[in-house]
Order: sequence, then structure tokens, then C-alpha cells
Amino acid sequence: MPSRSREIASVFARRWGRASVDSGLGLRGGTRRREAFARETRLAFEELGPAFIKLGQMMSVRPDVFSSELVFELSALQDSVAPAPFEAIREVIEDEFARPVDELFDDLDPVPVASASVAQVHRARLRADSPVAWGPALAAGTVVAVKVLKPGVRAAITGDLELSRRLARRLAIVRPREGWTLAAFIEEFERSLGRELDMREEGRTADRFAFDFRDDEQVRVPTVAWGRTTRRVLTMEYLEGWRLSELDEARRAGVDAYGLAEHGATAFMRQVLVHGRYHADLHPANLFVTPDDRIAYLDFGIVGIVTPDERRHIAHVLAALVFRDPDRALRASSELGVEVPPEQRDALARDLGALMDRTLADERDVRHFGKGFLSLLGDYGVEIPVGYGLLVKSLVTVEGVARALYPGIDIIETSRPFVTRILVEQELTMSRLLERGPAAVRAALGELLA
Amino acid sequence: MTDDLIRLLASWQLVHEMADEGLKAAVERGRETGVEGMRSGPDAFVDGLTALVDEEKERLKTALTSGGDVASVSEGLVDAEALEEIRFEIGELKGRMETLQTTLDAIARKLSGSGGGE
Repeated sequence: MPSRSREIASVFARRWGRASVDSGLGLRGGTRRREAFARETRLAFEELGPAFIKLGQMMSVRPDVFSSELVFELSALQDSVAPAPFEAIREVIEDEFARPVDELFDDLDPVPVASASVAQVHRARLRADSPVAWGPALAAGTVVAVKVLKPGVRAAITGDLELSRRLARRLAIVRPREGWTLAAFIEEFERSLGRELDMREEGRTADRFAFDFRDDEQVRVPTVAWGRTTRRVLTMEYLEGWRLSELDEARRAGVDAYGLAEHGATAFMRQVLVHGRYHADLHPANLFVTPDDRIAYLDFGIVGIVTPDERRHIAHVLAALVFRDPDRALRASSELGVEVPPEQRDALARDLGALMDRTLADERDVRHFGKGFLSLLGDYGVEIPVGYGLLVKSLVTVEGVARALYPGIDIIETSRPFVTRILVEQELTMSRLLERGPAAVRAALGELLA
Repeated sequence: MTDDLIRLLASWQLVHEMADEGLKAAVERGRETGVEGMRSGPDAFVDGLTALVDEEKERLKTALTSGGDVASVSEGLVDAEALEEIRFEIGELKGRMETLQTTLDAIARKLSGSGGGE
């Protein structure tokens, strides 16, 4: 067995052995056992490096395949890895541009401001003007964040992927869900990783996001300096601010935490319901608060897409949450591909209603609702479409982020006016009126003549 | 006969006056409850809708008094949005070309072994 395979096998054996002990050798309840295994799996992924961290991040957005315990545990993956030596980073930059770093940037700081599994970020100043996709060009002297792919990362990941493929062939029997195979998942992971290892993809997504929110003064997305961006180097405007872990300092500086939490929740609804593209990988490291009371979004690795038709049904699901209406939630969900067998519908609606009463009645707790809802669908054997699962999980994450900003916030309540306006706009289109008008007139006449 | 005609016209005027007052009151109520209040019941929905229609009427009035063409008001908005979208897509393409040019220049520099400036 090659040494890397031995290392992987030994880490999982040790971690899962500990999970077995923590869960009383499997004698404790299902949830406790799944939580223990989820926690140790996350720690194993962190220990095993870039490919596994990325694999874990991808698994964390697939509640349609993995248990909700594993999905939410993997959302907490710490993607903070020791930085590569500055000399190696400098070599990557010089190799990408075939020019000395001093001709590209001034004051490139050898100490990185952030270091994750596949890339690290250094602060610098642009040496010359750089064109941008939208808005005025970034002028020479602008402070920028230079995100550089770590040397050797591609080779390390490719090696681990080859091992994973072999493992997947041996574990072909593992099928957490009908029609799902480990080999297909590894293939999908490889494709998504390919996009993530190309920095230009992230730059394009950031540009699109900035364009979508061009009229929103409170949302800030760093501008990409395309003249200093290649496959392995992404140069973006450097934004000053506080991470969510440094909010005490932000509050002392007078930042309106409630306003930002409220705006952040509404901005998410706007991404989903208006633009049909949303940041599906929000976590404390991916956004911060700026001194001029804005929310700055970073790192656009995972983006969820929804079609115009889906947007309408999602708005109805959200309205169902507001009014705690399980029938309406299931009706709109079925339009989004959540197929509940007719013989189970009443029982599921009853359980969903009870879950809504427990988690969405007085103090709304979207996290517990989201986790409970996904588990409930799993318990009833209802298949969860990929996009639907990702959306529920993202909504839970948005609540987490909003509560990090302002613990008492109720994101359903704060986004209610926005969602209602979208619903009214959607329902009052001429085509919808023509579609529903005759039925409405019949109902009104029936009422009058009764 | 004249009295009857006057009475008929008076009734007609009264109906209009009452409808006008009713409409104004509905607009007022709709404005107070806002769009979010529209879901609380059929009456609230009608009030909200009346307020939305009134807002649109005011926009049209402004467009007409400023010499604009009624039909072009909403079309103009759509055109402006489409134009911005196209501008963005062109900017996006320019960004792609810029990064490709950078890579091409880097390859050319490596091949020629010059390593010169821009």
C-alpha cells in the first residue's frame, strides 16, 4: 500500500475509532452517533489536507446525499492552513506573468493576510492601471489583494484524486442514496475542483455579483484587476474591514450591526428571488463588515443557480414558512422536485406542521427548522433535489451569519416585506393574471351567489 | 322634466363623488398598510392594489407633464436595463481577453527569453 494510502487509512481508522467510543460503541441514539462520526470525519478531512478539505466543502453543500449532521458539521471545516514560503509564491507570480514581481506590484507584503488549503492572499499595490469588467479602471497605487494558488497544490490534489478514484471503485457498493455512486461523486468533485483551481472563474463570479448589486450601496464586492489576473493569480481590490469574529471592535467603531444583519438577510433573498444566483458558501471567513457600514462579500467558490420558475415556487415556500403553513410548503416544494408519495403526504404535512410550531412559532430558529426539515424528508424516504437541499442549507447559513452580526435577529421576519413584494410582483404579471383570472372570477361569483 | 334631468345628473355626480372618495380612502389605507399588508385579507389586498395603481398613475402623470411619451416610460426602463446588461457582458469579455493577452504575453516572453517590460 503506498504511503499516502496508508496515511489516509490510518487517519480515518483513528478518527472513526474515536467516534465509535464517543458514541458508546454505537449504543447511543442515532443522532448522537451520527454527530460523533460527523465531527471526527471533519477532523480527519482537516488533517488530510487540501483535497480532503475541498471534498468536505463540496459534501457540505449536498444535503441531498449526506446526513444533515455531516453536512452541517462539514460546513465548519477550518480552511486555514500554514502558508507556503513567500519565495515560492513570488515564483508562481513571476512564472504566470513572466515578469519580475516588482514590475507588477509595489510593496507586495511577504506576510500573507490569509492562507487556506489551495491559495493564500498577499497585500500589495498596483504598479500600473488595470482594466476592470465594470466601472472605472483600478488606478496605479490601488491597494490590492493578490490571491495566489499555492505551488504543488494541483499535484497533491491530483494524487489524492487518483487514490480516491481507486477507492471509489472498491467501494462501489456504498450508495447512501438510490442512483448515487461514490465514483460519480468523485468525478463531479474533480470538475468542481477544476473550476476552483482556476482563479479566473472566481473573478468572473465576483464581477457578476458586483453587477447584480450595483444599485445597492450597502453591498460591497471587490473589483477584479483583470490586467493582473491569470489562471493561478487573482488580483482584487483590497477591502478593509472586520471579520465576523472581530465584531466587538466593529461595534465599538459604531457599525450598525442590526442594520447590516437585516440587509444581509434581504440581500440573500434578492440573490435567490431576483437574480437567480446566490452565494452558497457563506461563512465567517467569506464576508466582513466595512467601516462605512457595508457588507463585503469574498470568495465566490460555490454559487447556487435557480431558474425564474423555481424562484416563484421558492417565494411560496418562504411565504409558507412565514405563515407556518405546511400544506402550502409541500405544494410549492413539489413544484421544486420534492416528490412526496400521496399516501405519505398527510402524515408528512402533520409532522412538518409540528416542526414549524416547534421552531418557527415565537422565536424563529431557522437552523433547527432547516436541519429538522431535511431529516424529516430523509425519514420519509423523500428524495431531495440538489438545488433544493443547497438552498435550505444556505438559508440556515444566512441565519447563522445574520445572528453572528446581531444575535436577536429573525431573518424570516426581516425579509418578510421583501419576499411579499416579490410575491405580489410575480403574481400580478399579465400572464399570471390571465392564467389565474378565470378561476378567481369563478370563485368570486360563487361567493356572491352563495 | 328639467328637474328630473338635473336630479339624474346630480345622482350621477354623487355616484362619482362617492366613488372618488372611496378610491381616495382605499389609496390612503393601502399606503398605510404597505405592500406587506396585502396578504392579511381580500379588503387589504384591494387597498394595497389600489395604492400600487395610484403610484403608477402618479408616475405616468409626471412622465406626461414632463413631455414624455406614455408608452416609452416602461420601455425606456427595460431598454436601459438591457443596455447595462450588454455593457457588463462586453466588460466581462474584455476582462477575459485581458487575462488571455497577459498569458499570451507571458508565453511570448518565455519563448523569446527576453523578460522585458509591458
